[in-house]
Amino acid sequence: MGFEKFLFYVLAATLIAAAGMVVTRRNPVHAVLFLVVAFFSSAMLWMLLEAEFLAISLVLVYVGAVLVLFLFVIMMLDVDIATLKAQFIRHLPLALVVGVIMLVEIFLVVGPGNFGGESFPNPAPQGPDYNNTRELGLLLYSSYLYPFEIAAVILLVAIVAAIRLTLRHRPDTKYLDPSKQVYVRKGPDRVQLIRVPPEPRRVPPTATPTSGVEDEA
Amino acid sequence: MTFDYAHLLPIVPEIAVLVLASILLLVDLWLKDEDKGTNHLIAVFGLLVVIGLTGVVGGGEREIVLSGSYIRDPMSDVLKIAVLVVSLLSFVYSRDYLRDRGLWVGEFYVLTLCAVLGMMVMISANSFLTLYLGLELLALSLYALVAFERDNPSGAEAAMKYFVLGALGSGLLLYGLSMLYGASGSLELGAVARAVAWQGADNQVLVFGLVFVVIGIGFKFGAVPFHMWVPDTYQGAPNPVVLFLGSAPKIAAFALAFRLLVDGLGQLHADWQGMLVILSVISLAVGNIVAIAQTNIKRMLAYSTISHVGFIFLGLLAGTTEGFAAAMFYAIVYALMAAGGFGLLVMMSRQGHEVERLEDLKGLNERDSWQAAMMALVMFSMAGVPPTVGFMAKLLVLDAVISIGLWWLALIAVFFSVIGAFYYLRVVKIIYFDKPEVIEPLVVGSGARVALSVTGLAILLLGLFPAALLTYCQAAFA
Amino acid sequence: MENIYLTIVLAPLLGSIVAGFFGGRIGRAGAHWVTILGVGLSCLLSLYVLKGFVDGSLPVFDGAVYTWMVSGGIQFEIGFLVDQLTALMMAVVTFVSLMVHIYTIGYMADDEHNWPKGSLAGKNSYQRFFSYISLFTFSMLMLVMSNNFLQLFFGWEAVGLVSYLLIGFWSVRETAIFANLKAFLVNRVGDFGFILGIAAVAMYFHSLDYREVFALAPQLANVQIQVWGDTSWSLMTTIGVLLFIGAMGKSAQVPLHVWLPDSMEGPTPISALIHAATMVTAGIFMVARMSPLYELSETALSFIMVIGATTAFFMGLIGLVQNDIKRVVAYSTLSQLGYMITALGASAYAAGIFHLMTHAFFKALLFLAAGSVIIAMHHDQDIRNMGGLRKYLPITWITFLLGSLALIGFPGFSGFFSKDAIIEAVHLSQVGGSGYASILLTLGVFVTALYSFRLYFLVFHGQERMDEHTRHHLHETPAVVWVPLVLLAIPSVFIGWLSVEAVLFGDWFKGVILVAPHHDVLAQMGAGYHGQAGFVLHGMLALPFWLAMGGLALAWYIYMVNPAIAAYLMVRFGTLYRILDGKYGFDQMNMALFAGGSRGLGKLFWKTGDQQLIDGTLINGSAQGVGWIAERLRTIQTGYLYHYAIAMILGLVVLLTVFVTF
Repeated sequence: MGFEKFLFYVLAATLIAAAGMVVTRRNPVHAVLFLVVAFFSSAMLWMLLEAEFLAISLVLVYVGAVLVLFLFVIMMLDVDIATLKAQFIRHLPLALVVGVIMLVEIFLVVGPGNFGGESFPNPAPQGPDYNNTRELGLLLYSSYLYPFEIAAVILLVAIVAAIRLTLRHRPDTKYLDPSKQVYVRKGPDRVQLIRVPPEPRRVPPTATPTSGVEDEA
Repeated sequence: MTFDYAHLLPIVPEIAVLVLASILLLVDLWLKDEDKGTNHLIAVFGLLVVIGLTGVVGGGEREIVLSGSYIRDPMSDVLKIAVLVVSLLSFVYSRDYLRDRGLWVGEFYVLTLCAVLGMMVMISANSFLTLYLGLELLALSLYALVAFERDNPSGAEAAMKYFVLGALGSGLLLYGLSMLYGASGSLELGAVARAVAWQGADNQVLVFGLVFVVIGIGFKFGAVPFHMWVPDTYQGAPNPVVLFLGSAPKIAAFALAFRLLVDGLGQLHADWQGMLVILSVISLAVGNIVAIAQTNIKRMLAYSTISHVGFIFLGLLAGTTEGFAAAMFYAIVYALMAAGGFGLLVMMSRQGHEVERLEDLKGLNERDSWQAAMMALVMFSMAGVPPTVGFMAKLLVLDAVISIGLWWLALIAVFFSVIGAFYYLRVVKIIYFDKPEVIEPLVVGSGARVALSVTGLAILLLGLFPAALLTYCQAAFA
Repeated sequence: MENIYLTIVLAPLLGSIVAGFFGGRIGRAGAHWVTILGVGLSCLLSLYVLKGFVDGSLPVFDGAVYTWMVSGGIQFEIGFLVDQLTALMMAVVTFVSLMVHIYTIGYMADDEHNWPKGSLAGKNSYQRFFSYISLFTFSMLMLVMSNNFLQLFFGWEAVGLVSYLLIGFWSVRETAIFANLKAFLVNRVGDFGFILGIAAVAMYFHSLDYREVFALAPQLANVQIQVWGDTSWSLMTTIGVLLFIGAMGKSAQVPLHVWLPDSMEGPTPISALIHAATMVTAGIFMVARMSPLYELSETALSFIMVIGATTAFFMGLIGLVQNDIKRVVAYSTLSQLGYMITALGASAYAAGIFHLMTHAFFKALLFLAAGSVIIAMHHDQDIRNMGGLRKYLPITWITFLLGSLALIGFPGFSGFFSKDAIIEAVHLSQVGGSGYASILLTLGVFVTALYSFRLYFLVFHGQERMDEHTRHHLHETPAVVWVPLVLLAIPSVFIGWLSVEAVLFGDWFKGVILVAPHHDVLAQMGAGYHGQAGFVLHGMLALPFWLAMGGLALAWYIYMVNPAIAAYLMVRFGTLYRILDGKYGFDQMNMALFAGGSRGLGKLFWKTGDQQLIDGTLINGSAQGVGWIAERLRTIQTGYLYHYAIAMILGLVVLLTVFVTF
């Protein structure tokens, strides 16, 4: 057993274990962290396949951006773990049965019989001057130009959708307008310290139900 | 690879839709709130131009360009025009609704046009990758559209359900595609078909992947048991979105099914035929029976969609050119009927009042007899009553099924259609024989009125002269 | 040419749509102008086509213009077959239709008086009437121009529909509703046979196209089929008889004739157009068109001949005792249709069609003239209240007289040539039953003359029996009414002389109508034919002429010279009179046996079958069952996302297990 094979099994085991943890951890922050581990392991598996670009982009994009965002969101949301847990236990038997059947069936098909080494021989190793990123780029802009452009449109849609669903002008939020900031002149426009007499305690703005609905949405 | 500008010619319609969406995105920035009607005009005329372009570019032999990613054949021409026409109708129907609800913003048109683009990409896809990307483009736009009325919690809930289940469905489809890629070694449908033919139909991996692919297709169509999103999404989404969601994507779903199952995996016909038999039978049963218990007309139409999907599957599973033509005819006709049915709901919805209960249709005849007649036509057509086109569509599909010897399947389909006729005819009864709760006449814009009349008359005329559409459907598979 | 044919068919349809859907907008004048223009265009083009065939400049057209659908390997098409037969029919149909359109302007001018005040159905009834008759013209053209059985059936049913609508046009009249229901039901019996015949054609020929069917027919001439148990029937006889049952319904042959006299409840223009000149002759046209099939079955021909002769004679007899002016003409129509049918049975198709054509002109003329009388009499139709109208209605009188002379076959008039040819042909025919038919047809000539001139004398001569008020207002009808009469009188007199040579003995129908050599009686007659004058002279020496003269003279004697004798005869031959007045009891039998029986049966099924078994158990039971299942099933739709997801996964597992593991 060569070192590569050894490394593959270690990484695969880590990947599966981490994925299992993601599903079973009761603390969502832990789950996300395990997801990070899973991504790292799969990135390294790609590295074993000499797909450096994919490995690096996986780490950069998923670990570096997506999961960090996940963490932010989860930490800001109040997830009721107890109810999740109760549902989880209640449906566990069914989930187990279904899962086991699926596993067996997948194993039957995706076993060595169909995906063994003899059906998929190793490709010839590339020389040291072979640039994975360059080859990928060439392919993307030639053979896969059309799918690539569509993917771009998908991203555009994602942006439009996100802006449509979240951006709203609320009169009660204060924000800076850069275009106005540009025109700030020295003197009257600059920050001035003014002593203001303390105000009486204000009633919290519960009488505006619209904002409540908006928050839900 | 050498690049030839001639290769761009077939995709001119797609480019035009993208350009149209981009123009709208930009123009919208400079429009004041009271000028948003310009968006509507641009979108409608733009779509007309695109329909023309599709007609100009289309016709002739099939051609495969852009490194095998893109195919243009007679089928894609017809389906694209059908999608564009139905989308155009839905724009016209929705105009007043959007204006009254403050939803008249450029994003609606941009997102819808991107969905249209996604459908066109799917229709002309010649590789797993393009197919999948088109599907995602469509789905992503639809998720956003379902939640478009962002202050409406039920819309958000519907979008959430649709999104999560859609992701699951896409995941399954993608997994299946990866299996097929693994077994065949290619993403391009033609190459896949050759590989499958070479390996023979008993390759386990192929069948394994096929199951996932069929499920992905089933989800997109909304076939039982992958239909759960349909009623909830229809109920929660704003009416114009349901109108769009319930009509044109069925045509695209037909293209998805045909490209994958016939273009790619035609050799596995015996396997996918069995799967589609199961899905179509339970879709027919569940769709027709559960629709009876619905009091919400949007949910009722959702279940009706499910039962119609059963019929489209019947035509597909026949596996003959006759059957494909019948299924294609059915899909297009269904999109037209759905546009008419939901279109009326959109037109009837007023500010602050979403028409969605069956009672809302009570005595429609006394409020506006023309619209009532058109709605009755749509309902008769959905129930499959001659001489409407719905009858012809059902007849063709049943004919195809019987001609391959599955007469028991045809009997089941007829049996459930008869059950289904009950709830369609109940709508007619409500329109004509119940006393209206509101007596004020219906205020309908002229555009929507024309659109509904066109839909209704098309349903009638295509029923009398089906060859007007059928010859194109048959030519697509000749 | 295809465009011309399409225009011929579609122009009336367009007129009908405009007048029907936009009648309220365009008003009365708009409605009659648009329909008359449509039919007029059709008529002009039809005459052009006919001329083309006469001078041989037009080829036979046979082609599909539209493929409706393809199912089970059979093409369902809309197509035209235009040959000499079709061209003749087109010209007749459109010409008579045009005359009737013009006439209707006068006849329906005061139609609002026929409706109760404020009746919704009476609104725009004038425009609706024009829409219907134009629609009829369209349907009839579709029927005669068809090149396949499907379109034939479409036209067949469409003319039936319009006939139904028009018989019951005055829908506020009880009798009109009864009559149109009767026409509808009786025609269903015929159509049932007709569609079975078409189905048999589709089944054994695998095509509905005339050309293919006719080409294949000789090969299937001796095929025997088992329909019922072990008895085997000849395929050709079965198809022939089944199709003819359809013709019996449409062309009102015994025993399916009962609807035609009642159809006189409709306005007179349609009695002329539909129930005399064109629609009722559809059966004759159809049999002639199917001559390649009928020639292969002697049995079917024999059946046709016996039915036709029976109708010709016995229906004529009933005409003797009728007192309603339109009903006399209606029974005369029945009788004349019988003549045409008998000619078909004798394989003298050309003679049948020839009589169809002459009859179309003179019978339309008689009906329209009768209508003119009715207008003048303020819608009193009882001939016992008429008499001496000759001086009040000179034009109507002279045209009616010409029509009557044509009808009885006075030498030189159009009816003479056609009727004489039929009698001669049947006399020569060797088909079984020809002896019976020959006797009845010959006697029928006497009857025809008797009832025709009974009517003529009672209406136009003798004592003026109308009341003072009516007499005071008697005057000739307006030009829109009498101009069509004159225009129809011209062909009624001359068309026979002009066309007998070509149609009967020339090669006009060569290659269109197929007659087996041993059936070809017309060819035998042609051998002895030496010009029209010879034909006329020969006719004046033959028995039928003297019978006709005898009938005429008898009518003159009874109704002019010695009116008392009529009353005496009525008493003397009371039984016979009652039988005739009771129309041989067909109506009673139908009402008691079929209508009563089927109502009783229906009630039985309704009470026990429908209400108890089906409604109680099946419908309500299954509806409850379905509703119950629906309620159960909808609970699956919980609204929880993870339930939905698990449903998808379960579906996946089941499919995987079924298709991958096994």
